[in-house]
Amino acid sequence: MNERVARCSMFVTPTNPRFIDKAWTRGGDVYILDIEDSIAPAEKERCRRLIRESIHKASKGGASIYVRINKPFVDADLPYAVWPGVDRIMLPKTESAAEMRHAHEIISRLERERGIPEGYIELSPMIESALGAVNIYEILTAVPRKIWSQGGGGGYDMAVNLGIEMFADFDQYAFPVANVALASMALGIEATGGVFVPNPSGRVDQSDQAVKQAEALHAAGIHHAGALHPAFIHPLVSGLSPTPDEITWARKVIDECTRLADMGESVGTLEGKIIDEYEYDMALRTRDWAAACAAKDRFKASALSRAQAGAQQQG
Amino acid sequence: MPRYIRRSSYPLAIEDPQLAEKAYGSWADAIILDFTRRADRDWQQDLKSRMPAAIHDAARGGAEVFVRINSGAAAAELESTIFSGITGIVLRGVPGAEDIQKASQCLDALEQDRGIVGGSLEIDVEIDTAAGVWRSLEIARASPRFGTFWANEQVLCKNLGMSSDPVLEFEPLEYIKSQLITVATSVGGQAQGMSYPLSLTQEDTGEDELRKAVRRARDTGFKGAVCPHASWIKACNEGFRPSPEETAHYVKVIEVFAEGLKRGMASVPMDGKMIDVPVDLRAKLYLEWARRAQARDEEKARAHGKPAA
Repeated sequence: MNERVARCSMFVTPTNPRFIDKAWTRGGDVYILDIEDSIAPAEKERCRRLIRESIHKASKGGASIYVRINKPFVDADLPYAVWPGVDRIMLPKTESAAEMRHAHEIISRLERERGIPEGYIELSPMIESALGAVNIYEILTAVPRKIWSQGGGGGYDMAVNLGIEMFADFDQYAFPVANVALASMALGIEATGGVFVPNPSGRVDQSDQAVKQAEALHAAGIHHAGALHPAFIHPLVSGLSPTPDEITWARKVIDECTRLADMGESVGTLEGKIIDEYEYDMALRTRDWAAACAAKDRFKASALSRAQAGAQQQG
Repeated sequence: MPRYIRRSSYPLAIEDPQLAEKAYGSWADAIILDFTRRADRDWQQDLKSRMPAAIHDAARGGAEVFVRINSGAAAAELESTIFSGITGIVLRGVPGAEDIQKASQCLDALEQDRGIVGGSLEIDVEIDTAAGVWRSLEIARASPRFGTFWANEQVLCKNLGMSSDPVLEFEPLEYIKSQLITVATSVGGQAQGMSYPLSLTQEDTGEDELRKAVRRARDTGFKGAVCPHASWIKACNEGFRPSPEETAHYVKVIEVFAEGLKRGMASVPMDGKMIDVPVDLRAKLYLEWARRAQARDEEKARAHGKPAA
């Protein structure tokens, strides 16, 4: 439900009951059940077997569920990751169209076997290397499945690949991030974004950093972000939602542009600002995004109430 | 991690009567030999007669030796300059992949003729035009000989119609640098460069400023720099590698992560940061990078008849 609203997607480890059992209370739009880097090699198999029950646990508060699998273990991971209730598979360290096609074929077969409408589950290539960044166009056009573009740098893996120390006070990923973003936009594919926000401390648990990140993403028109710590959830969810002022302005622009169109005109002024088809298009986007966020928030609130009631009954 | 430990590349002219002393005393990881085509005699014959000794002189301090070639006259210049002892060439003025392929074919023949291991000679590319930047991916993919990009920013700025004076408060070629680093990395190569404004001024600047500039260049993704002055070399050799403090930090990272794994955790907090698989991997790679840099220093020290520092 409302899986396209993913203002904050937080990674959780299915093998850690403290994380997975509390996830539904945290207010995230999305929880990413991780079988990859947060899971020790010896725990992978146990983690795979916990995915199905974790889907139910983590989504009780109305969050959507994604699963991040391992690049070297696509064949082994996917049968444990593709279930009803999963909206997206995240394919880490994607570097080629062939990897996308391979994952797509397995997901399609599992969808057919498990009563999931074929093509329902989105596939998200995670661009975490220089090779992935330069091959981005072929990666994004590789399969007939809904694709989300998952960043193009700024992560630990990209830093490893480029051989750089992260958390400098300047943008170290200017080209890979822009290349992935441009390819995504050219193809009309939504992206989980990366806008450079200095974080020399490298800490992932500070909510003021999340506020700055949300402001930067919001200004860049990006609606989606990831998180490693619960402290990021509320700043991102609120910061990536349209503000009341933005919604009001969008309504005024739509009304005024509609009035102008009725008079056969396409350009006018509103409160001293020129408005035209571009302003109108932006206003429509703000209106639609506001409606989607509101629907997601209502859905989450309703689910949370039910889950809390259930917990009280059990308690 | 870097394919090559090539932190400092020092250009010297083969006509320089002090070539041997300068190369030996520089402690550069690599020497780039430049030459002038003499108009008063057969320049090819002249070069052929002088190159073997120049290569020997340049390599005496343990440096790798490259020769800088103009792509427009690559065949003739390669024929005159490629001899045993050369590590590779730096090709400048490259507008596209075809130049790399042609140079590579020339090297195939020269390796066979001159007793050099087939396929061993490297092609590095000096990017100095917008066309070179735009086609950087096809250039890097043109030959398995490709090793390194180097943005010649002074020439590139002129080609782009930009002032090469450092008048801006921000890095004007940030995107281009990031592109060259990303593209080179994508094919297993690397990029050399310096951070702004030293990349443009090329000044013989103070040590503190130089060290900061090297650190920023390293944080950008460069693995070394072309040094216009011998005074840059020490800072580059020390800066384009993990520092002792970083090495100590990564030893601790590996220990903390290993302890976490014993407890079944692959994501462990350390000083407010998350230590997980890629951080652990990076720590191991950094330690390996530090080890290789140390080995390179020892190799040069032996060439100088000195114990390693």
